[in-house]
Amino acid sequence: MNPLIFTTILMTVLLGTMIVMMSSHWLMIWIGFEMNLLAIIPILMKKYNPRTMEASTKYFLTQATASMLLMMAIIINLMHSGQWTITKVFNPTASIIMTSALAMKLGLTPFHFWVPEVTQGISLTSGLILLTWQKLAPMSILYQISPSINLNILLTMAVLSILVGGWGGLNQTQLRKIMAYSSIAHMGWMTAVLVYNPTLTMLNMLIYIMMTLTMFMLFIHSSSTTTLSLSHTWNKTPLITTLILITLLSMGGLPPLSGFMPKWMIIQELTKNSSIILPTLMAIMALLNLYFYMRLTYSTSLTMFPSTNNMKMKWQFETKRITLLPPLIVMSSLLLPLTPMLSILD
Amino acid sequence: MMTYIVFILSVIFVVSFVGFSSKPSPIYGGLVLIVSGGVGCGIIMNFGGSFLGLMVFLIYLGGMLVVFGYTTAMATEQYPEVWVSNTTVMGVFLLGLLMEVMLVLYVLKSEEVGVVFKFSGVGDWAIYDTGDSGVFSEEIMGVAALYSYGAWVVIVTGWSLFVGVLVILEVTRGD
Repeated sequence: MNPLIFTTILMTVLLGTMIVMMSSHWLMIWIGFEMNLLAIIPILMKKYNPRTMEASTKYFLTQATASMLLMMAIIINLMHSGQWTITKVFNPTASIIMTSALAMKLGLTPFHFWVPEVTQGISLTSGLILLTWQKLAPMSILYQISPSINLNILLTMAVLSILVGGWGGLNQTQLRKIMAYSSIAHMGWMTAVLVYNPTLTMLNMLIYIMMTLTMFMLFIHSSSTTTLSLSHTWNKTPLITTLILITLLSMGGLPPLSGFMPKWMIIQELTKNSSIILPTLMAIMALLNLYFYMRLTYSTSLTMFPSTNNMKMKWQFETKRITLLPPLIVMSSLLLPLTPMLSILD
Repeated sequence: MMTYIVFILSVIFVVSFVGFSSKPSPIYGGLVLIVSGGVGCGIIMNFGGSFLGLMVFLIYLGGMLVVFGYTTAMATEQYPEVWVSNTTVMGVFLLGLLMEVMLVLYVLKSEEVGVVFKFSGVGDWAIYDTGDSGVFSEEIMGVAALYSYGAWVVIVTGWSLFVGVLVILEVTRGD
């Protein structure tokens, strides 16, 4: 793509999310979402083949439907309150419709079906933007309307997302689909604690973005999109292999890595609010996630995965220079001792 | 009948939306879009928005829909789908019509309707006053406010439209 046009379109994606995050008028938020959606379509279609076209179309259809539902909720809210500011959603119907619309944008169950298919159809860099930046805008709106959200609907969607994210990822060998199911599960964790303590949602979002960014950068560095291809990194850069191990275990939520911090805080917050069964179920279902991360680490870092002899040497292209990979890796694995600093967030 | 004109126009609006949502060929979709645009203009004008109704006809029907019609005419197939040609299209159209008829009967018969939100029968749809303060038209002041207090909205929507064109060119250009 022409670099000037690519820059313009990328900046428009950023501008759309910024408009969503900083507006106080519902109509401007809707315009921000539409601008974001419109501008990310050519980024998803960077490589021009039928797979990316199909993935972009699926993304566009689901997100446009979600925007329509959001507009309907905004108008019902307008009907019942007579004003357009964001502070509180004044009608339970509007609140439920808005929560469903934002869940569709995030990829929460039962609206998660587009996430693996869209992530699989696009290139690794576009998938990175899709799974990290595009989650910021809907999550900021959920944060802002969190006092008015119906608890039952949100918790049902959250728990089902963790379940689907764990179970769905079990049969996958394509790395992008694995990351998509991981995204669904993490969104479930984030929205589960939204009503109790929205700050932890933002903490989880921050750490999730760091870890997903790191994982995608490691995949881009080794140019691998399947488990088999990833299992050959020991031959090319053994250091990357070790880092894949550490980052994947961090994503699985194992102490003493940073991925444990949001899960620990979320479980603590939920138990403080006297719900015991729910965090137990969530923690058990996170084990499903951990299983397929560990399968990736087993085939990549811990064993020499069986392959034919001529596949063992990866094509030595010029080494890709990945921006900020070392700081990202450090942040996504070593942040746990900083947990007491969370008290400054209040 | 004139008191319930907005209700009648809204029913025709929904029926024409059903007409193109049942996915005949785009040319026929454009046809019902013209009808729905004209009816929508009528609804707006009944609320006192004569300027905005004119905008609908001029810009929406006379600008965007004309361009849509030309591009569809260039890309059309030899035997385009009508509503009666394909069983699926006809089935969906009749289903939508049936649902609309049932909703209209429900609204006309009962005192209070509570589908997604409550409104009290047909009475809510009659226009008693256009909301004018009598001195100036509310609607023209709204348009004026868009260009003075709402400058940020103009910038954002202008940029969205520009980026829309860029995106369309990028997507259709391919490699």
